[in-house]
Amino acid sequence: MPETILEKPSLPYEELADVIDLSLLTGQLLLQHGADTARIESTVHHIGTGLGCTWLDILVSPNALIITTTSGDQFRTKIRRVTRLGVNMAMIVTINDLSRRVYAGELDRFTLRKELEAAIDAKPEYNRWIVVAMVGLACGAFSQLFGGDWAVFVMTVIASGMAMFVRQELAHRFFNIYIMVTATAFVATLVAGFALMLNLSENPTIALSASVLLLVPGVPLINAAEDMIQGHALIGLVRGVIGGLISVSIALGIIIAMTLLRIEGV
Amino acid sequence: MIELILNDALWSALAATGFAILFNVPRRLLWGCALTGAVGHALRTVLVETVDMPLELATLFGAIAVGILAQWCARHWRVPAPVFAISGAIPMVPGLFAYSAMIAIIQSTTLAAPEEVRTLLTEGAVNMIRVALILGAIATGIVLPTLIFQREKPVV
Repeated sequence: MPETILEKPSLPYEELADVIDLSLLTGQLLLQHGADTARIESTVHHIGTGLGCTWLDILVSPNALIITTTSGDQFRTKIRRVTRLGVNMAMIVTINDLSRRVYAGELDRFTLRKELEAAIDAKPEYNRWIVVAMVGLACGAFSQLFGGDWAVFVMTVIASGMAMFVRQELAHRFFNIYIMVTATAFVATLVAGFALMLNLSENPTIALSASVLLLVPGVPLINAAEDMIQGHALIGLVRGVIGGLISVSIALGIIIAMTLLRIEGV
Repeated sequence: MIELILNDALWSALAATGFAILFNVPRRLLWGCALTGAVGHALRTVLVETVDMPLELATLFGAIAVGILAQWCARHWRVPAPVFAISGAIPMVPGLFAYSAMIAIIQSTTLAAPEEVRTLLTEGAVNMIRVALILGAIATGIVLPTLIFQREKPVV
């Protein structure tokens, strides 16, 4: 145990309750928005000890957090369920900054709560149409990297842009993630498949494969590997399985669309 | 050669930036994502084209470059490194191999001739192995610099 235990004054029971609530909220936001496990552990620990606890222990599970805060001879333990999973890097950047300020003693618990609430209410960085356009262009860039021509590029941009729009609409209505992914892959393949039937290019397969790339489960898979390597094998496994299921859902959407259009895909 | 590299870097930067926007990366950090994506993928292409390195190994080196650059960007902007590492690794994702593997395996179920089935299954299996190796190389590569340069005593 660190020496600071002797130096820090004991927190009143109510304050300890508030600190654990803030730690849970911070951890929940990080887990929800795609942080890796080691980051969640160290950030929440810094927040708890920065706010006056002598020690904070955290157990991160794939869809719940357990935190114990200790101060003097008192402690509190709480569990919080974390259900919605997504990716929001702006949130991770904000919380990283807040945790550093708390640890440096620049923020008290009242200001921290205000800042966290502001981060939750913050609008997305980008307008939805910018996201549609840029994701379309990103998939188009993939088609170029795969060696496609300009016709393939245009096909891919249109197909993946439309797919991104469908994905936003479904996400907005809280659809199950696998249904959302299957439907999005279906739309992407359907649009790219129509274009393929017009015989605009010599290697249309590239458009079919590039237009579904907006669904690639990059964050779950990279976090899975990172967690495994850093000793969080259980969470790593779960994240890997989620990434695998998303990939299977993509394949399902592609196959349904190809069967409907009666195209071979090679 | 120069043209090939520039072309490759440019499209990789666009792919990385598009995904960074999808991941809601703050505007001021987009340059870092574009740079990380461009350098990682271009390095991989150079290694494959000039020294004939297998794609999987070249991906490992590309991903290590992504990891180092992400650390550098993280220090420069004082934000977490995964913001850059994840967006930067995106252009190396083996989308075409994954797609080919899936198509080959699905088609093998609709054919009658055992010879054709065998060919397709082999093709599918090889592509799947390549996907697994490339994904593994990406993940290992971007974590390696963190593991080597930031060995802190764990706080929890």
